[in-house]
This record gives sequence, C-alpha cells and structure tokens, in this order.
Amino acid sequence: MSTGTLDRVVVVGNGIAGLTAADTLREAGFDGELTVVGDEPHPAYSRPALSKALLLDGDDLTSHELPPTGHGATELLGVRATGLDLDRRLVTLDDGTDLPYDRVVLATGSRARRLSDLPEELTLRGLDDALALRERLVDRPSVVVVGGGPLGMEIASGCLTAGCRVTLVSQGAPLILQLGPHLAGVFVRAGLERGLTVVETELARLERRGESTRVVLHEGPVLEADLLVSAVGDLPNTEWLADTGLAAKGAIAVDPRGLVRPDVAAVGDLAAVRTPNGPRRVPFWSSAIEQAKVAARALVRGDEAPPLRFQPYFWTEQFGRTLKAVGHLPLDGEPEYVDGKPGGGPALMRWPQENGTGAAAALDYRIPVPRLRRMTQDA
Amino acid sequence: MKIVLDRPRCEGHGLCEEAAPQLMHLDDEGELVLDREEVEGADIALANAAARVCPVAALRVA
Repeated sequence: MSTGTLDRVVVVGNGIAGLTAADTLREAGFDGELTVVGDEPHPAYSRPALSKALLLDGDDLTSHELPPTGHGATELLGVRATGLDLDRRLVTLDDGTDLPYDRVVLATGSRARRLSDLPEELTLRGLDDALALRERLVDRPSVVVVGGGPLGMEIASGCLTAGCRVTLVSQGAPLILQLGPHLAGVFVRAGLERGLTVVETELARLERRGESTRVVLHEGPVLEADLLVSAVGDLPNTEWLADTGLAAKGAIAVDPRGLVRPDVAAVGDLAAVRTPNGPRRVPFWSSAIEQAKVAARALVRGDEAPPLRFQPYFWTEQFGRTLKAVGHLPLDGEPEYVDGKPGGGPALMRWPQENGTGAAAALDYRIPVPRLRRMTQDA
Repeated sequence: MKIVLDRPRCEGHGLCEEAAPQLMHLDDEGELVLDREEVEGADIALANAAARVCPVAALRVA
C-alpha cells in the first residue's frame, strides 16, 4: 500500500518512546521535517529514575536527566495535542495550530490513575510529581501509600529511607500480581524488616473528613497520615484520539511493527502490542524503546522493516534490594537456581515455561541483560 | 566523538551492550567496559543509541 511522500513526520509525545522514535527516524534515513510535541515543559527524562534514585539521592537532582537530543527536530514543548484527523493528516494542538504530517507517531504515554479528585492525593508519574514528593519528604511526614505494585513499593521504600513512618495499603499481598509469589515474598520481607507496615485490603477509597483526608478500607479501618500517595496503575492518554476510533478500549492496538496503519505508529505506554498472552500494554522503559525503534523503521521502510521481537526487561530497587527480570511476568511457582540458593539471598534464577518462553531474574546480582536473556533461551 | 562513562552512576543493566555490542560490554563482574571510546561515522549513531537506552544516563557521547 502506498503512503505517498515522506517529507513531514510529527511525533506526539516527548517521553522515551517519542524521543527514541525521533532518533530512529533519523537513523533510518528520514531527513525531512521532524516535529516533536510534548505536553511537559521539560526535555525528555528517565521515568524509572523518578521513583528510585531521584527520591533517594541526597542533593543529586540529575539522576533522571538524559543525554541531549541529536535528532534536530522542531520541539514544541508545553503544548498538548487535542485531536488527530486521519483523512486530512493533521495533528491539532491546544494552541489552535494544525500540524500537517505524512507520517505520525502516537506516543502520549499514560497518566496516573487516581482514587479521588482530592488535591491531597499525590501521585508519582512525571518529573514535577517526583520533585513535589521529594520536597514534602523533607519534614519526615507520616505516609500512607495506596497501591502494592512495584511503583507503590518503590515510593514506600523511598519514604522510609527519607525517615518517614510508612504504611502501604495493598489489594491483596503486595507485588503478587506483578512479580509472582516468590519474588513478591522477597521484597515484602525486605520492606517489613525495614519497618514498613503493610495493610491488605479488598478495596480502599479516599475521603475528606473536616480538614483531613483519610484512607477508608472496605473492611472498616480508617488510616490517616500527613501524606497520602496513591500508585494504583496508569491510564493511557488517548482521549485526544477519541474521534479516530483507534483507541476503542483505551489503548491503541498495533501490528507487529507498531503500526496502526501505514502512516500511523503508536509506541510506548499507550500501545497494546502483541504478546504471548494476547494484545497487552507493556508499560516499561525498555519496552517503550524497543517499540519505538521498530515502529519508526516501519514508518520509513514499510514491510521491509523487522517486526518486534519482544522480551520485556523489568527492574526494581526497593528496601535495599535490586531485581532484574527478563521475560513476561508474573513468575509462578519456585525458581530453578542457576547461582545462589533458596532463602531469598542474592541469586540468579530462572523459571522455565512450557511454551519455551522462559523467564530469568537476578536478585542483588550484577549481570548484564544480554546474559540474563540467554539464560531464558537455555531454560 | 568520544563515549564518556560516568562509572558511579552505572548500575550494570547492560541495555547499552544490547544497543551497541561492537562498542561496549559488561565483564564477568558486571562492570561496563568500553571497547572503543573514540567513535566516528556510523558508530556515532550506535554510541548514541547506547547512551539513550541507559535508564540512569551513565553514558554520554561528546
């Protein structure tokens, strides 16, 4: 299918997905007019660092900074896209501008899901959120974190390290859904040893009572703290695409090359890519990068470009422990030990799977990702 | 162009090695080794790709 001339590409979104797409378009030979639109005023930054090093590092406020860009795009920062016209090939911005394109990359990411509209409910998604949270931690407030996923646990860990008393509210045991029981147990134990209080609930909601805001658990108990942070998942930023019909279920389903149609790519946290478990959003750092590389090449070269070969990489640092994992999570059952032994100490582990797509994890164990990947292939 | 490693920042993820195995690798201890520091031509794009993928921004190409 011919998609006509290729003089102008618009990348909507300036996170790591949009940035990698812009870089890769250049590498693939696109030398035309490139425009990157980002709704944050900041240059692109490392989002994983926000809930890790940036919360923990004393005076170092640079752990999230990325190398300067080299793609030479016109960058429109602090501007939001409000609409996409697929027939006329126009991106509409909130300042009223229409940007014409020959190809467009949709990379507007996702935002924190919230439990309320109360301003006391903090979330951690962007750089401004992280800086605001850091500032609040200086006074060592008591903290309730609602959300037992990796982000909630990382935030709880950062708050504990800052000297706060921290209660983590989790729907079921923390990290079970994301990591599986073995690894979840390791990190929950590490949190408890450092003084974390974990409260399991079926459902939590936030409410304001007089001057204070509190967490009300389905089972009855009420939790109060100086600081309330929620980390209960993310929602794709696809409202601006409502008229296109591309985001019928919230996320944007893409083909194995990250394309929605030959002139439209969708990459990063808003894209549902094909996985062994069906179309899924895989909102991780290295996932966004891989998706963006594949899709940008496909926009330039079409079907000649290779499809996505996908094996997610996930890492976390919390409560003094680090995990690197390759493969699709969660990991059910007990691992095989390649190095180390059972008991939760430093170890190199793998979880063979029947369909041949094994997973491997390194706990407090320095190992390059390529080696970890090879372990999954041997499994 | 020169690849510059900020070693204290490096956490040994090794995503850079995946992006540019011709230019760098992690040794058995998980320490990053730059096999080439001076890059030119097509290798500059590779070096940039390695720097970009690092989640802790431990690499720069200057």
